[in-house]
Amino acid sequence: MRARNRSRIAGTLGRAYLAMILLFLYAPILVMAAMSFNASEFYQLPFEFSTTWYERMAGNDAILRAAARSIWIAMVVTAIATALGTASAVALWRYDFWGKRVLQVLLFPPIAIPWLITGTAMLIFFFGVGIGRGTPAVIIGHVALALPYVIVVVTARLATFERVLEEAARSLGASPWLATQAVMLPWIAPGVIAGALFAFAVSFDQFVISYFLSEPGDSTLPVLIYTAIRKGFTPEINAISTIIIAFSMVVMLIAARFTSFGGER
Amino acid sequence: MAEAGHLARTDRLRAAGLLAPAYLWLTVAVFLPLSAMAFFSIITDVPFGDTEWRVTAENYAAFLESPTYARLLWKSVLLGVKVTALCVLIGFPCAWVLAKMIRGRSREALFLLVILPFWSNSLVRIFSWAIVLRGNGVLDKAVNAVWPWNVEVNLLFSEWAIVIGLVHSYLPYVILTAYLALQAIDDSLIEAARSLGAKWWTILWRVVLPLSSSGLIAGAVLVFVPVVGSFMEPRILGGRMGTYYGTVIEDQFVAVFNWPLGAALSFILLAVVLAILAVSAPVLRKART
Amino acid sequence: MSEVRVENLSKSYGSACALDAVSLRFPDGGFFGLLGPSGSGKTTLLRAIAGFVEPDAGQVLICDRPVVDVPVEAREIGMVFQNYALFPNMSVSENVAFGLRVRRVPTVEAKARVAEVLELVQLGPLGDRRPHELSGGQRQRVAMARAIVTRPSVLLLDEPLSALDKALRVDMQIELKRIQREVGITTIFVTHDQEEALTLSDRIGILKGGRLIREGRPEEVYSDPGDVFTARFLGEANVLEGRAVDGALELAGGTRVARPADGATMIAVRPEHLSVSRDRPEIASALRADLRQRIFAGAMGTCVLHWEGQQLKAVARHEEFADLPESGPVWISWCDRHARGLRAE
Repeated sequence: MRARNRSRIAGTLGRAYLAMILLFLYAPILVMAAMSFNASEFYQLPFEFSTTWYERMAGNDAILRAAARSIWIAMVVTAIATALGTASAVALWRYDFWGKRVLQVLLFPPIAIPWLITGTAMLIFFFGVGIGRGTPAVIIGHVALALPYVIVVVTARLATFERVLEEAARSLGASPWLATQAVMLPWIAPGVIAGALFAFAVSFDQFVISYFLSEPGDSTLPVLIYTAIRKGFTPEINAISTIIIAFSMVVMLIAARFTSFGGER
Repeated sequence: MAEAGHLARTDRLRAAGLLAPAYLWLTVAVFLPLSAMAFFSIITDVPFGDTEWRVTAENYAAFLESPTYARLLWKSVLLGVKVTALCVLIGFPCAWVLAKMIRGRSREALFLLVILPFWSNSLVRIFSWAIVLRGNGVLDKAVNAVWPWNVEVNLLFSEWAIVIGLVHSYLPYVILTAYLALQAIDDSLIEAARSLGAKWWTILWRVVLPLSSSGLIAGAVLVFVPVVGSFMEPRILGGRMGTYYGTVIEDQFVAVFNWPLGAALSFILLAVVLAILAVSAPVLRKART
Repeated sequence: MSEVRVENLSKSYGSACALDAVSLRFPDGGFFGLLGPSGSGKTTLLRAIAGFVEPDAGQVLICDRPVVDVPVEAREIGMVFQNYALFPNMSVSENVAFGLRVRRVPTVEAKARVAEVLELVQLGPLGDRRPHELSGGQRQRVAMARAIVTRPSVLLLDEPLSALDKALRVDMQIELKRIQREVGITTIFVTHDQEEALTLSDRIGILKGGRLIREGRPEEVYSDPGDVFTARFLGEANVLEGRAVDGALELAGGTRVARPADGATMIAVRPEHLSVSRDRPEIASALRADLRQRIFAGAMGTCVLHWEGQQLKAVARHEEFADLPESGPVWISWCDRHARGLRAE
C-alpha cells in the first residue's frame, strides 16, 4: 500500500517538474507571440488585441527583403549541403579505407567550435582571397555548418540499410549504380529529407556567421533583427520573430517525422 | 566479410569522388579560415592593399599585458560553468522523468516538445526573454499579481538575465543527451538493484550516474563550449553589464577593426575550447556508441 | 548444358584462408549441397560463384564460360539470401519483376512471367502485398520466385531455410525440392544443417578449413564417410581406434574385430548399427560396455554407453531396448560390413 502510494506521488511530482520545465521553455516564446498582438508599442499591459504590428511589418520593405533573402539563401544552402552531405555519408558508409576515422572526426569542428571563432575566421579568410562579405560568403559559411548535420542524419538512416539488398539487386542483373538507385536511395530518402530540413533550419536560423559575413544593408533576417534590437526594438520585430519561430518549429516537426529522432518508434 | 584497408582502384576513385566535394567545401569554409586566422594573429596589420605589416607577437602580448582580457576570459569561463551546472542540475531530472517515468506514446511527444525550442531561432528566443524580464514587463506584472507587497522586478541588464537566457538556450542539449543515455539503461538493472535492497540514492549514485555519465558529460561540453564564446546573449540581455570575452572579440571585428588582435583573442579562446574538447574526447567518443 | 565448375579456387582474408584450391563440379540440373561448420569456406565458395567474392586464384566456369572477370550482374545467376533480402520498398510482384525490368523484358511478357512464377511457388493472390506483410515461409517463396523468374543458369541458395522455425523448415524443404525439380535448374545451396543437406541434395560436398574434404551422393557419403571429421559431422558416429594385429584390428581391452579392407586402423559404427544386449551375442567381437543412461524419444530410443573410457551411442526403435536394464553392464556388437574404415584427419 505504502509503496504504491509513494510511486504515485513520485509520478505526480515528476509530471509537475516536467510541466515546470515546459513552462520555462515555452513561456517567453508565448509571451512574445502574445505581445506581437498587443496594441501598445512599449509592451504595456493590460493587453489590447491588435494586428497593427503585422500590418506594419507587411509594409516594411527592409524586413520583407531580408526575409526573402534568408529564404532564398536557405534554399540554396539546403540544395548544396544535402547533395554533398548525402554523397559523403554514402561514401563513408560504403567504403572502408585508411583515414576514414580522421574524415569522420573532421566533421565535428564546424559544430563544436564556437560560431564566433568560425565566423570571424571566415571573415578574415574570405577578405584575404577576395570573396569579401556578401551573399556568396554567407552561403559558403552556412553550407559548411549544415554539412555535418546532413551527414550525421543520413548516416544514421544508412545504418539501418541492409547491404545484402544491393547484392540481391545485383544478383538479379542490376549494375551497381542501378542497384543503388533502385534499392538504397528509396530506403534512405526519409533520412535525406530530414537532413535537408535540418540544413534549411540551420541556415534559416543562423545568426552569428551571417552577422560577420553579410554586407551592411544587405543582411539576412536574423541580422536585421539583431540590429533592430540593439537600436531599440519595435513590435514589428515581435511580429516577424513570432512568424520565424512558428515557421522553424514546423520545419523541425516535419523533420522529426522523418527521423526516429527521439528514441524508439 | 569487409575487406578493410584494401579497396580496388575503381572503388578508391569512387570514394574520393563522393567525398571530395564536401571535404573541399569544409576546407575552404572552415579549415583554411582557421589557418588564416592563425596567420593574422601574428601580424601587425591587415595585409590588404599596400599597408605595411610584419610578423609579431604583440597581439598575444596584449592579452598578457592588459589584465582586462584575462579577467574577461575568466568571467566568460565562470559564466560557462554557471550555465552548464544549472543546465545539468535542471536537465538531468527532467531527462529522468521522460526516460523512466513516462511510458508509451506520450513520452515521444513530450520529448519532442522539450527539444523543439532548441531548433528555433536562438536570437529570437533571447529577444523574447528581454520582453519578459524588463522592468514593468511581464514577469514584473506576474509577480505583483500574486505577491501582496509591491516589488519591482527588473532583471534585464543583469547577469541573472544572461544566465536565464543561456540556460533556456542550451537546456534542451543536456536533456537530449541525458535522455539518450538514460534510455539506454535497462530498467531491469534498476529493478535488480532494488531487489537487492538498494535505496533510491544508492541506485542513483552507484548505478544510474555511472551508466549515464558519458551522456551527461557530452551534454555539458556541448553547453560549455558555445557559452564561453557567446556574445549576442550578453549584448541583448546584459546591456552595460554584458561585456564578456566574446563581445570583446566581436568589437575587434565590427567596431574597432583591429583584426589581428581579434584573431589572437579568438585563437586563445579556441585553445581553451580545444583543451576542453581534448580532455573530454575519450568520454565523448564513448557517448557516441 | 548449365554445368558449373570451380577450378583451384583460392581466397584468403589477410592470414585467414577461406578457400584453399577447391575444385568441384556441380552437375547440370542437380541439387548440390555445400556443407560445413561455420568458417569452413562454404559461404565464400558460394559468393565466389555469385561474384561477390573475388578469388585470389582459380577459375569459376558457368556453362563452360570463365566468369572470374565477369561482374555479378552479368553472370546470369539467381540467388536466395539468408534473410531473403526482399526489397522493402517494392510489392511482391515488383520484387519478382525486378530482374525482368532490369533486362528490359516487355511489360506484357514480364507480367505473364511474374504471374506464372508466383503460381509455381503458390503465391498467386499475394502479388500486391509488401514483404513486411508476409510470413517467413511466404517471404522464402517470394525470394525463390524472384531468383528463378529470370531463368538463370544456376540457382544459389545461401542458408535458405535457416530463418524459419523447425516445422516450417521441413515443409519448405519439400517445397524447395519440388520447385527445383519443376524448373530443372542447376542448384547449389549452402547449409550448416546436415539433415537438410541429406534431405535435399543429389550430391553433397563437405568443406573444412577452406578445403573440400569429401564429395559424393548423400547415401554414399553417409555410409562411407572416409574420415573422422566427416563421420562425426554428418550424423553421429562411434569412432573406435585400434592397432593392426595379424590382419585383424585389436581394440582397447584386447578384443579383436575384423579389419576394414582399406587397412585403416580406425573404424566408425553408426549408432543405428550398434546392437545392445543383456546376454552375450554369438559374435566373437562383441564388447563388454557399461550402460549409463537410456533416453526415450518417441518412436526411437537412445542408449548412452561407456566403453574403455569412451562414450558410445546406440539408437534403435524403442521396443528393441525393452529388456535392457536401466543401467549396468551390457554387450555391444555390430556387423562387420557396418564398420567403415576411417582416415585420420
